[in-house]
Amino acid sequence: MNGVRRREIAKRIFAYEFNRSTHRIKPEEDKAPVYVLTPLGMRCNRVFVVGALLDKDEIKPDSGIWRIRVADPTGAFFGYVGRFQPDALESLMEIEPPELVAIVAKIGVFERDGRLFVSLRPESISVVDSETRDYWIYETALKTLERIKRMELKKDEDCKLAWQIYNPNLNEFRQMVKQALASLKEEFELIEEIEEEELKERKEIEEVEFEKLKEKDELEEFEEEFEFEEEEWDLSDILGE
Amino acid sequence: MKEERIKQITNQVVEQFRRSGYDVDAKEISKRLMLLIYEFKVPESEAIRTVKNWLIKELEIPKEKLVAEAPLVKIADITKPGQWVSLKAKVVQLWDSSSPSVSQVGLIGDETGMIKFVIWAKSGKGEVEEGKSYLFRNIVTDSFQGRMQVYITRTSDIVEIEEDIQIPPREIEVVGALVAIQQNSGLIQRCKLCRRVMTKGICPIHGKVEGYDDLRIKGVLDDGENFYEIILNEENIKALTGIDLEKAKQIAAERLDRNAVLSELKSQLLGRYLKVRGTRGGRYLIVNEVEFLKGIDKAEIEKLIEEVAA
Ligand SMILES: [Zn+2]
Repeated sequence: MNGVRRREIAKRIFAYEFNRSTHRIKPEEDKAPVYVLTPLGMRCNRVFVVGALLDKDEIKPDSGIWRIRVADPTGAFFGYVGRFQPDALESLMEIEPPELVAIVAKIGVFERDGRLFVSLRPESISVVDSETRDYWIYETALKTLERIKRMELKKDEDCKLAWQIYNPNLNEFRQMVKQALASLKEEFELIEEIEEEELKERKEIEEVEFEKLKEKDELEEFEEEFEFEEEEWDLSDILGE
Repeated sequence: MKEERIKQITNQVVEQFRRSGYDVDAKEISKRLMLLIYEFKVPESEAIRTVKNWLIKELEIPKEKLVAEAPLVKIADITKPGQWVSLKAKVVQLWDSSSPSVSQVGLIGDETGMIKFVIWAKSGKGEVEEGKSYLFRNIVTDSFQGRMQVYITRTSDIVEIEEDIQIPPREIEVVGALVAIQQNSGLIQRCKLCRRVMTKGICPIHGKVEGYDDLRIKGVLDDGENFYEIILNEENIKALTGIDLEKAKQIAAERLDRNAVLSELKSQLLGRYLKVRGTRGGRYLIVNEVEFLKGIDKAEIEKLIEEVAA
């Protein structure tokens, strides 16, 4: 039955794994959602992220599109918020970085020179406390370790595909998880050495992809606004009599 | 597509006759339906009626025999769509319905499980009440988004029973992030006649009528593996935020905006981890208790770190 598509789960993923996700799984049927495959063999279309909002900048003056950078203990997520995310935009305008935030986001993708760049397209942004952040790190560590295990066992098709595409060094990912967990034990400095390079690259992409940023992103296009009162097919005529 | 549809209707007709003890020729029925619906452009319901009448004549079935009673089953037995059954069950929860074709929708349960039910407006059956037990006679099963549900149609009966159907507590505990809060949350208005949620002062059933204020949140709890649709009532909301109906009205009055309540609740709840104890019913988690998640066990973290190192 064609109906409301099942809501996409908000996956938990560290910036490190997220930013290394460069493979998109094209839908088999027309209206199916698009997924990004991560190096640890997880399909995702929506994520839940908690971290420090480091900065927000309008990518061009008066464009109404804001670039945000949100750091977790393993790296930083880039995100873009525009008029197609009214709730997120409204909250973002009220927040002065740095601030701890929780973000529910669809994944945005740009392609450049055959490489895929992922970013967050937030649906909602809210200011949270450090307990929420800590739990997120814990939970994300747990789920990442599960993924590493699945990769070791080459459990399913997506794992096999991830091996084929990324051939990941699992130890590198274990170290990353360890680093994240360590941050829960002591006061921890955010890695600020980030990515002057990466930022420069992003800015170049934004230049080229500016028009696309003003539009709804392809990954968020199809999922319908989920509602409790789902309309159902009225069978009463047929079944009644 | 055509074939699919015809097959579907044919199965329903065949099933209805089978229930009454008559084996009918599905091929012949399909052929007639195809002709009536796609060649002669007869409306589906008319085509079905015509085919049924033809079968009744052909098989010389006394009309009253055809509405023979469907077997009494337990909810756990319901695994296939298109089956006619009867159930003794208790109404666990009534949900809002914005669809005028639906009279009531919600959850019923028995000793073996819970299932969503829909009473079609056209069925003309009386309304049921939460907490009461009923015999639902001659209802039909269907599957929607991979889950079973039952319809109460015109040929069904709903009879209140003395027996208090016992539903075992199937409480589960979920820790998840509140990833969405829907519209129609916050300080809402309900219709005085039917308690449905009104949109802009209009009840989906009764139109422009008087309403009363209520506080609730429709939201989505997501643990990274599953999502649970939850409804938080005034009591739950108060436990989490300290905001009750009175306070909500006060906020709305102060800011001259009912939506201010929703904004306030969103800023306090969205993106937070909640620990919910509740009963699973279909896709819904019926909340019994809710609280903010408190901290993590440091020992757990140590354990994890060791696990990674190993
Ligand atoms: Zn009403």
